[in-house]
Amino acid sequence: MKKPLLAAAVATTLVLAGCGSGSSSSGEVRLRMIESLTSPERTKLIKTLIAGFEKANPGVTVELVSPPLDSADQKITQILQTKKDLDVLEVRDHTAKSFSNNGWLAELPTTEWPGWSDLTELAQKKAVEVGGKAYLIPYGFYQRTLFYRTDFGMAQPPTTWEELYEAGKKMTSGDRYGYSFRGGKGGADYAVMMISAYNGEALNPEKSFYLKDKRTIFSTPEAAQAMELYVKIFKEASPPDSVSWGYPEMVQGFTSGVTGMLIQDPEVIKTVEDSGVTAWSTTPIPKGPTGYAFQPVGYAGWGATSFTKHPKEAVKLVQFLSEAKQSIAFAKGNSLIPISKQAQNDPQFSQGAWKAYLQAQQDPKQVTTIRPVDYPGWSQFGVDSDRDVQALLTGKKTVAEVLKSWDAFWIDQAKKVS
Amino acid sequence: MRTFSVRRARFIALCLLPGVVFVALFTYYPVIRGAVMAFQRYNLFDLTSTPFVGLENFRAVLGEDRFWTALRNTGTWVAVSLFFQFFLGFGLALLLRRHFRGRGLYQAWVFFPWAMSGFLIGLLWRWMFNGQFGVINDLLLKTGIIDQRIGFLATPGWAMTSVIVANVWYGVTFFAIMIMAALQSVPKELYEAASVDGASRLRQFWHVTLPHIRPTLALIVLLRIIWILNFPDLIYSMTGGGPAGSTDIITTFLIQQVIGGDYGRAGAVGLLILGLLLSFSVFYLNATRFEKAR
Repeated sequence: MKKPLLAAAVATTLVLAGCGSGSSSSGEVRLRMIESLTSPERTKLIKTLIAGFEKANPGVTVELVSPPLDSADQKITQILQTKKDLDVLEVRDHTAKSFSNNGWLAELPTTEWPGWSDLTELAQKKAVEVGGKAYLIPYGFYQRTLFYRTDFGMAQPPTTWEELYEAGKKMTSGDRYGYSFRGGKGGADYAVMMISAYNGEALNPEKSFYLKDKRTIFSTPEAAQAMELYVKIFKEASPPDSVSWGYPEMVQGFTSGVTGMLIQDPEVIKTVEDSGVTAWSTTPIPKGPTGYAFQPVGYAGWGATSFTKHPKEAVKLVQFLSEAKQSIAFAKGNSLIPISKQAQNDPQFSQGAWKAYLQAQQDPKQVTTIRPVDYPGWSQFGVDSDRDVQALLTGKKTVAEVLKSWDAFWIDQAKKVS
Repeated sequence: MRTFSVRRARFIALCLLPGVVFVALFTYYPVIRGAVMAFQRYNLFDLTSTPFVGLENFRAVLGEDRFWTALRNTGTWVAVSLFFQFFLGFGLALLLRRHFRGRGLYQAWVFFPWAMSGFLIGLLWRWMFNGQFGVINDLLLKTGIIDQRIGFLATPGWAMTSVIVANVWYGVTFFAIMIMAALQSVPKELYEAASVDGASRLRQFWHVTLPHIRPTLALIVLLRIIWILNFPDLIYSMTGGGPAGSTDIITTFLIQQVIGGDYGRAGAVGLLILGLLLSFSVFYLNATRFEKAR
């Protein structure tokens, strides 16, 4: 009468086995890949690229996992913690450090791969930025640019923040406002952008929250000057509602004709084109009084896990996605600054709204920076600083209070890192 | 009485095993893991060293003003939401008890929101309450109730009102469903007897309906309090806790800890919420039992 026992035991084993590995036992290789910046159109594009990979590599199939954008990185982190069932993943600039710190990413070979020499200098630099090894191959870059309406009575686009304020104030009347302000999630980024521009040459672009003399950028009188203007731009040239505006509202404000200026990433080019607004153009982001503008170059890329059972195929997939044909298609589909040298010859990236990016790249005073994403408090600062910005805009805190706490935070961080 | 043989008992235990294993694995393990984390330095930034730090996380959380603001906001959020959800839900249930043409279809429509994700509902309301292009401002302007747009999600007082309105809209349905089920359990004969005795509708409601469904009501209210408190989805997608923390409740505060990467502190907040809810439940159940005994 051992049979029921045996049956139950077998059933339990099967259930538990079902939770485990997903790799198949036959000769076929199944890769699991997860994306982070999920959107329906993008997922479709990735799937066509994957189909191309599967066609070129018979016997390899790729399963794409697309978690919803808002919790994607948390989900990816959770999967990585289990060290199971994941071969290829999307790594973002701010997750690269913790993923590699925890030993979850495999080092990608750069020498035996012809695609490497086709990457732009920036792409090669960013690939090895974290930890000095290629833990990811970027698939594109995004940088901010100033979008402006040409039919809102502005003769010349603003080149400095002061000019942006003046122009915005002139546009503001009735239901129309000058500037798509961001007071909600991600709002502090814009304050930092202004503070950086005002600090000018003293700023250390390699650690962009610090000056070359090791003080923080928040400690200077220039920072206070920038923040005073920041508040003035909000109060006199932006919709009062924009205290709570995040990405979708800012863009909607611009495309619906409520605001005349917007500072955003290149993917908005497509949105504006589709919106039916015709009288608009782009120009590099405004500078500070000393003639400098600083902004980080945002990126994300593809990486392979350190615990994959099929390292060869996983690396192959990352390389396939990073080769000129695929990477240019991906950059086009997502409005990204491409990683391939061959893209410079592509008319899409040298004309129209994209020209502002070329302009910025050629201007030595438009400096790209590296934010201290590799400091332990980086994520915490994101949460805290957004809240401080709202407190500042609603009059609960003063410029001096906010700057003092940010200064203290980054002085403390510097101690933790050294 | 049948007696079980040892073998039979063993067989039953074995059949239960998968269920027990499943619950242990997917419910108790994460809970315990989270509780342990609360006493560790567990920052996503560096998981290679996660030492035990005693009560450090709790001290850090309790020392933050934001935690106390969030706690106060939680009180408002739960109490006001519950109040309106309960009374509107009760009213809706009473209306839906009556027979009319197309009642089935109407019920399905009314209950539909309950099947939607809270996050999605938050996004819808976020656009409706938008101070610039929101439909609510538009309606109020066109009907002449206001002559200037209100930044609903941008002004601290309005932001709390807005998220509560959305939550009431969402939760009314739940009360309506539950109370309707409870109402259907009241035997018809009682009403017949009451009307023979000449009791008015109001008296019937007071002396027949209410006493009959009171235990169910007490339980529904408790469940609902726990759910509203554990329901950051709406607030998170509408305001993210802003402006400047004025709509932060204790669960959105927890989410912020997670996003900040500090799972240790998040675990500590989780344990505090658990303690809060447990002690409240014990207090509440005792209070309602006392009333019943009287």
